[in-house]
Amino acid sequence: MKVTGVETALYAYELDRCMGDANSPSGRVRGSGCVVELLTDEELTGVAVATGGAMSLIKQLVEGVLIGSDPRSVQGLFQRMNDVHFKGGHDGIVNDAIAALDVALWDLKAKIYGEPLWKILGGDQRPIHCYASGIELPMSDDRMFEWYSRMHKDYGFRGGKLKVGLEQDADMRRIGLMQDALGGPEVQPMLLIDANEYWSPKQAIRKVREMEELFDLTWVEEPARRWDFRGLRRVKDGVKTAVCAGENLDILGDFLAYFHHDSVDVIQASYGMGGITCALQIADAAYGHDLPVTLGGSPGMIHAHLASIMPNFMTMEVVDPEPKDGVFTTDVRIVDGWAYPGDRPGNGLQIDYDALERQRVEFVPAGAGPSPLGRREGAGLYEVTPSMEERAVAEDTGLL
Amino acid sequence: MKITGYRIQSYVMKMDRPIGDANSPMGEDLMPASILWIETDLGIKGIAPCAGDVGSLFDIIEGQDPREVVGLWRRMVDATHKGGLGLVSEAVSAIDIALWDLKAKIAEEPLWRMWGAREGRAKAYASCIGYCLTEDELFDFYRRMAERGVDGGKLKVGLDLKADLRRIEIMREALSVACERPKLMLDVNEYWSPKQAIRLLGVIERDFDIMWIEEPARRWDSEGLRFVSSNVKAAVATGENLKTIGEVSPLIREEAVDILNISAMQSGFTGCRQIANFAHAYELPVSMMNCQANFMAHLAAVLPNHLAMEVVDPGREHCLQHSSIVDEGFILLNEDPGLGLSIDDGILNTLISNPPERESNFPFPRREGAGLYVKGLAPGEVVWNEPKP
Repeated sequence: MKVTGVETALYAYELDRCMGDANSPSGRVRGSGCVVELLTDEELTGVAVATGGAMSLIKQLVEGVLIGSDPRSVQGLFQRMNDVHFKGGHDGIVNDAIAALDVALWDLKAKIYGEPLWKILGGDQRPIHCYASGIELPMSDDRMFEWYSRMHKDYGFRGGKLKVGLEQDADMRRIGLMQDALGGPEVQPMLLIDANEYWSPKQAIRKVREMEELFDLTWVEEPARRWDFRGLRRVKDGVKTAVCAGENLDILGDFLAYFHHDSVDVIQASYGMGGITCALQIADAAYGHDLPVTLGGSPGMIHAHLASIMPNFMTMEVVDPEPKDGVFTTDVRIVDGWAYPGDRPGNGLQIDYDALERQRVEFVPAGAGPSPLGRREGAGLYEVTPSMEERAVAEDTGLL
Repeated sequence: MKITGYRIQSYVMKMDRPIGDANSPMGEDLMPASILWIETDLGIKGIAPCAGDVGSLFDIIEGQDPREVVGLWRRMVDATHKGGLGLVSEAVSAIDIALWDLKAKIAEEPLWRMWGAREGRAKAYASCIGYCLTEDELFDFYRRMAERGVDGGKLKVGLDLKADLRRIEIMREALSVACERPKLMLDVNEYWSPKQAIRLLGVIERDFDIMWIEEPARRWDSEGLRFVSSNVKAAVATGENLKTIGEVSPLIREEAVDILNISAMQSGFTGCRQIANFAHAYELPVSMMNCQANFMAHLAAVLPNHLAMEVVDPGREHCLQHSSIVDEGFILLNEDPGLGLSIDDGILNTLISNPPERESNFPFPRREGAGLYVKGLAPGEVVWNEPKP
């Protein structure tokens, strides 16, 4: 079997809630993605979802490296794609492209053997620990409470992550609300907070310590800049809560500073870092340090396939327990708060071509990217609380 | 598909030549070996050329799908939590190897492709493990390897500096038909203390450009190994005697190793791959230890940071049939499913029914003086050091 080409298509979709973090308190109501379908000289195709910006590099890499190659050679092809981009570096948008192609290659490989991805990797079908992630900073207290309550009642989640950083009193109030929504303090839900690099290390230490007086927090995510291995280390040493970071790093080499300086307590991995091949390398390196690994949110929760082969896997982020982009179906299910990857060959993502045609766009619409407003004023310096106008934008969406 | 049973067969074989290092320079040509078969309801069997106390772990894998090998590896490792991997570490390795062989056979693929390598090949270096070999034998071994394109060689040293220097030159000359400047490596198998290593290697480095010095201090001595690395030009290679990623961890984190030796006995393919990836995150190369039929080349072929694999070739395959070859400086694997190994029952039965008359001295005990003083070669201790008449 040989790779013969690639189809890509940008699409946009409406969110079911107004999503955002400390950097975007007015939130966003649209999402976007790029379907990647790797074609072969047989009927099978490899499917992945990429970021919109990676499209032209994906085509370049397919033409330059993958066409004519045996898709079963996925690890060798991953290395070749990295080596081709040696000089300019294989991070950034190049990494986005390599990551998506690696996912598509693994999907193909699993389909060739007729096995689900978890099985071709050697995993078993154990339940995968996971938590609900609202990305809900723009949502009012009531809406936020409603969403986590639904996650608890309909899907059994007993852990949740709250976006924090702009208003300490509101953050503490909302952690309590999230805890109540997830069953109340008596069932000890797993409470996670995420500052998305909005604080300086000392801000983080002050704020988290104050929160710790009221709540038992499992981790604080990105309490300093992604590359600030010293600052992360200071926060780690300065609070009881575990420091979790890594989701904005791109490649294995980016993690070396974290490892070498013992900067974090929990390593984040995802296919966004060099695809499945590199995510597994990162997890193994963390294992060598006795550090747990957490997997981030993923389309169709396909990360659930990777968890059972990571002996140091801790928990997985679930942003939407049922995909809402309409373009994909998944066979990863959430039952009683645990994720179960299914038996469909490959990574379980199936494209709904009619929906894709309806939702196809020429370019990523303004406001439909993952962080439409960029980094917020005051980040790392002082908190700029949301303005009345920003609150109104989120309120007026009428969404949760 | 289910795992239904297993079989172990142990035997002792006579190799084509003896092997020996600083701890047992007189060498040994008898080698104990085992074969593990893991059986399935489909009739396909997984093979590992090693075994250990498989019986104590078999209930964990019995009735399970062998394709879920990493999940089974986790269950075995978790099951041995309290006592530690210790006694069963060889069994975990053997089972994991046989299960990966099975998984690839079920998929009708060679294991290197199952893992996603582009080519079934791993760069080789020659290693005679031959303190016991005469100078002529040394030359012949490295020349034979060089004629197959192998451009690097490793020599066992540590007991006699003058003889070591002479023998390094013989190895260098023999290899020089493969390339102008063959890669030269040395191995002292933990016989020296760190300061001895720095002193003695310092002398050797006046005459030779040494690529790596292997185990120049105890396997667990992070500080000593790092101290050696900081005070010699050669890279420090170590790790082959560590069994788990947890044991390897301090060496990597404390910068005690420049090139990590990895092996089949590091909790199987699964554990070995984890260790290699861990090293990769630190930009450290890994080097696969030798094994029968070079079967570990399947894993080496897929590791992005694999430097070169040790090839000893002392003639220890006997009943173990395989079709990998060493050529163009590489171990070349082929399209045979799984590890590409099969067992010749006739030869195996002969080995079992005609055991050697004496016990094997393998694995080698540690030599007197190790880490303290060099107990030089006694007259006649090795054939090339016979007393003068």
